[in-house]
Order: sequence, then structure tokens, then C-alpha cells
Amino acid sequence: MFNMITNIFRNLASKPATRVYPLQKREPFSRTRGRIDIDMSNCIFCGLCSRKCPSDAIVINKAEKTWEIDPFKCIICGECEIVCPKKCISMNGQYNTPAYSKSTSKHIQQTKVIQSEIKKDDCKAQETA
Amino acid sequence: MGKTVIPFGPQHPVLPEPLHLKLVMQDERIVEAIPAIGYVHRGLEKLTEIKDFTQNVHVVERICGICSFMHAMSYCKCIENIMNIQIPDRAKYLRVIWAEIHRMHSHLLWLGLLADAFGFESLFMQVWRNREKVMDIMEETAGSRIFLSANTIGGTRKDLTKEMLVKIQVILDEIESDLKQIESVFLNDYTVKHRLVGVGVLTKEDAYKLGATGAMAKASGLKTDMRTTGYEAYGELDFEPIVHTDGDSYARTVVRIKEVYQSIDLVRQCIAKLPEGEISVPVKGNPKGEAVVRVEQPRGEVLYYVRANGTKNIERLRVRTPTFANIPALLHMLPGSQLADVPILILTIDPCISCTER
Amino acid sequence: MQTKYRSIRGVCMLENTIEISKDDLLSEVQNMDYNNYRFVTATCVDNGDGTFDVYYHFDKNYEMKNLFVKVKKEEELPSISKIYFCAILVENEMKELFGLNITNIVVDYGGHLLLTDDAPDAPMAKQQIVIEERKADV
Repeated sequence: MFNMITNIFRNLASKPATRVYPLQKREPFSRTRGRIDIDMSNCIFCGLCSRKCPSDAIVINKAEKTWEIDPFKCIICGECEIVCPKKCISMNGQYNTPAYSKSTSKHIQQTKVIQSEIKKDDCKAQETA
Repeated sequence: MGKTVIPFGPQHPVLPEPLHLKLVMQDERIVEAIPAIGYVHRGLEKLTEIKDFTQNVHVVERICGICSFMHAMSYCKCIENIMNIQIPDRAKYLRVIWAEIHRMHSHLLWLGLLADAFGFESLFMQVWRNREKVMDIMEETAGSRIFLSANTIGGTRKDLTKEMLVKIQVILDEIESDLKQIESVFLNDYTVKHRLVGVGVLTKEDAYKLGATGAMAKASGLKTDMRTTGYEAYGELDFEPIVHTDGDSYARTVVRIKEVYQSIDLVRQCIAKLPEGEISVPVKGNPKGEAVVRVEQPRGEVLYYVRANGTKNIERLRVRTPTFANIPALLHMLPGSQLADVPILILTIDPCISCTER
Repeated sequence: MQTKYRSIRGVCMLENTIEISKDDLLSEVQNMDYNNYRFVTATCVDNGDGTFDVYYHFDKNYEMKNLFVKVKKEEELPSISKIYFCAILVENEMKELFGLNITNIVVDYGGHLLLTDDAPDAPMAKQQIVIEERKADV
């Protein structure tokens, strides 16, 4: 009958094992797989992440320079992060928030950066000429 | 004498997953039991024929949540045997560490459900508080609480750092000391013993003939454990299968509690012997051939059969899970028992219906 | 680890496999029972050319032994559930999912073990895939 007596006294003396969410949020661990983030400036649209994805959640359009992910299909396995040759896909520890309707998340690569590089090359060519 | 038919399930507070039993009763005793499954059939064996053989690791992992790591491990072993790949030693030890931690989580879940089945809710909460510590280890090392996704063909995807190994040892010590108190409630309390002793007796001959595996067979006196065949790093570890001779529900509880202690001991041995080196080898080409692999899951022996034909899709994957083999034993135990013992009997086979139906 | 394989012309096959005809099936299984083998499971593979490969896996002291039967689609296969009661679940499943014609199962679910009434017939057999691919092309 007194098997659990040390356990009972310890529970009475210590603070509760639960936390008061949402006042106190839980910090994710460093390796937690929460959601997929991408750094669009380095993406070369090779399509490897789209081919490797087990649930076909990534859709790439090379002509329009868009990278689209459906976060409700994504199973957060991490294959795209491993296989990306430019290492622009990263795993964030925060989970996707719930929503009232399903939607996809589309990223477009900005072309302004590339245009300014072309201008710099033109100036250099004029200087050497 | 009139007979009544009482439907048990598919929704029942005691069952973790839907299972339907038609119980033909006379007064309070069961005369016959007819099972009906099929509520969670997802056709995963067909899905694996459509996806690539590397994407299948993730499909196979999601057959079941409580034994998911061993499913992925068995599939990777099958493909590695077909393609003649030798994985590095460090990967073998890492797989054993994660597999034993997964086994601990499954047995602690079962202990909590058993306590809930006979109405002892506070004991259920105490056991699950320890299970939360195990889930924290899994999230910190592999990234997620249930679907670890740590296996890949050719080894593992993640490595364990020295700080993580130290932290695992600390948490295992805490779980062990907590479990010593909880164990004495399960095994020595008068009311708990009254519900478990003598309920659902399975003799040794019946267990062998009906094909029972796992703790069902071990509690009936059969000394059978797939880990003694020495796959992965088990050949270099020191352990003996736990056997009990009574064959009733009390014996199965004793076997599973002792297996938790055995898993803690195995993880400590692995951490002491962990070699340095790579964690995976690269994989080139497509598999061609067929192979059969058997692995010890928390519930028993699982059999994986893979046939591949040289393209990047495999031709056939067949999974026979341990609950599939234990259901005929359940049908043998039910006739002759009381209606109030049916939830306990169903839980002692440790049912994982989503594994059974894939 | 119970994976045993040998290479024939570079292709891995299952070792400890005996090929038998379906008429010898019951006598071979009875033989296994006398020698104290435990029934593990049965596997059915659709070859795509109108034949099925059916494997029966047995085990004793961690050594596996397999029986291998080749049947055509409409042929009858006798059930082994009178010898091994634990085979009822797997034989019902093979009958339902592949359309294999197994006779005299001790407890026969009649096609309602796993699938609902409005599910397609024999979904694991190969023909279903072919039809769907043609539709996608059109």
C-alpha cells in the first residue's frame, strides 16, 4: 500500500509537470523538424527537391522562376534539405500554424539582383575597351 | 438457453485503434468471438509499388506510429541485402540505440493503457509522464517525437553528439528509478493482481501451434527472440530473452516490464561501445532480386518480403506484422472468459491494428 | 538476421525454397506440421502475365523454409487452415485483395475482411494500374 509514497511526496513538493500554454511557450530543440524554409536568392531550379519529395509537395516552374510548396502535403521528412545542391532549403523548428482553408506557399525569385550584375559587367567591359 | 450477441467496438474507450468483435454470450460467459477488421485499411502495400524505392522508407515508416522505427529499419535492411551494401559499424550501433529507445516508448505506452483498462487512471498518468521523457530524447536526437525519419538506405541520416549521449544516460537513470516504484504497484498490488492473475491462459503448445510471437510467446514459456540471431549490432551485445512460464496476463505484464529494464541496459551497453566512423554509405543503381528479413518489433516478430526488378520502383512489398499473428491466439483465449475481462484480454496481445491492416 | 539469398545469373533469389505443385501442397504442409515447423505467413505476388507466385513461409529454431507454388489466375488452391488454424486471416486477405481462388477456408469472410462493398475487386492485382495509366494518357 505504501509503494508510491516517495513519488507522492515528491509530487506534492515540486512544481507541476505541465506548463501554462499560451503564456509560456515551449522552445523547440535545435534538431526539431517543424517546417520548410527556402532562401530564394541561391535557388538554381534544378528540380532535385521536387523529384525526391515523397508526397509531391514541391512544384517548380523554371520558366517563371517560382518555387511552390504545399505545407499541408509536406510530411517534414527533410529529404529536400539533404539533396539541395546549393543548400538553400533549411528546416525551421516552429511548426506550421493551423488554418481554416488549405493554401500553398509560393516563392518567386527576384530578377533585380541579376540585372544589377549585368550592369556591372557592362561597365567593366567599357572600361577595358 | 438463449444466447445474446454483444458487439464490442469498433469505438471503445479502452481500445487504442478500432477493432470490432462480435461476442456470442451465454449469461456472462463468452461462447464464441468473431473479429471484423478493416477500419484502417489504407492500401500502403500498393502505394509502395508506385513510389521510388528511396521514397518508400517514409511510406513504410508511417504504417504504424508505435513501432515506426523498426518498420523503416526492416525495409532498409531488405534493400541493403538485395543490393549487397554493407553499412558502417557506427550506423549499426546508432540503429540499435534508437530501436531500443523506441521499444521502451512502446512498452511504457502499453503499461499506461493497461492501467487505464482496469480503471486505475492515476497510475496511467504516472507511467505516461515517464514516456514523455523518452519522447523528449527522440525529439532532441532525431527531430520528431514519433516518426524519427532517421533511417536511410545505407545507414542513418543523423548522428549523436557527445552531449546528447550524456543527456540520454541521465534521463535513463531517472526513468529507471521511477519505474522501480511503479513496477511494485503493478506486480504487488492486491486489486491489480486480482484482475490479471489467471486471466487468459495460453499454454506453450497452443502458443507454438497458433503462431504467437513477442511477449505472448515469451510469457507462455517459448524462448524466442529475433534479436538473438545477431542482426545489426545485437551480436556484440550481452542479453538473454526474458521467459515466464505461467501464460496468463500477469506473466505478460512481468515480461514487458522486464523488457523495459533490458532495453535500458542495452542502450547503456551500446553507448559504451559506440565506435567512431561514418554514418552512411552512398547508394548507386537500382535493386534487383528478392529478400526476406525478420526483425524484433516491440510486439513480436515482423517479416518483410521485397521483390525488385531492376527499375526504380519495387515490384512487391509484403509486411506481416506481429499483431496479425497474435489475433488467432486472441480468438483462442476469448471463449470461456467473462465479459468484464474482454478489454484486458484484448490489451494483453498489445494490439496495433493499423499495423495489421496497413 | 534471417536473410538468405543466393545468386543465379546475378539475380538474388530466396534460399531454402522448394517449388511444389498445388496438388502436393496439402501433403507437404502436413509434413511440415509433423516436423514441428511454425507457420509464419504466406505471400502472393502477381507476375503480370496471368500467373501468381504464392510463397508459404515456415520457421523452426530461427531457420526459415519456404514452399513456392505457381498458380494461374482461375485455378483453385486448397486451403491449409485445417492443418494450421492461424492461416485463416492471411488466406482471406489473399483471396480478397488478389482474387486468388482458395477453397475450403475454415472461417471464410466471403470478401468482407478488409474491403468495403463499394471497393474495386482485387485491387492489388496488376491490371488496375494498367487501366489507370491509359486513362491518364487520354
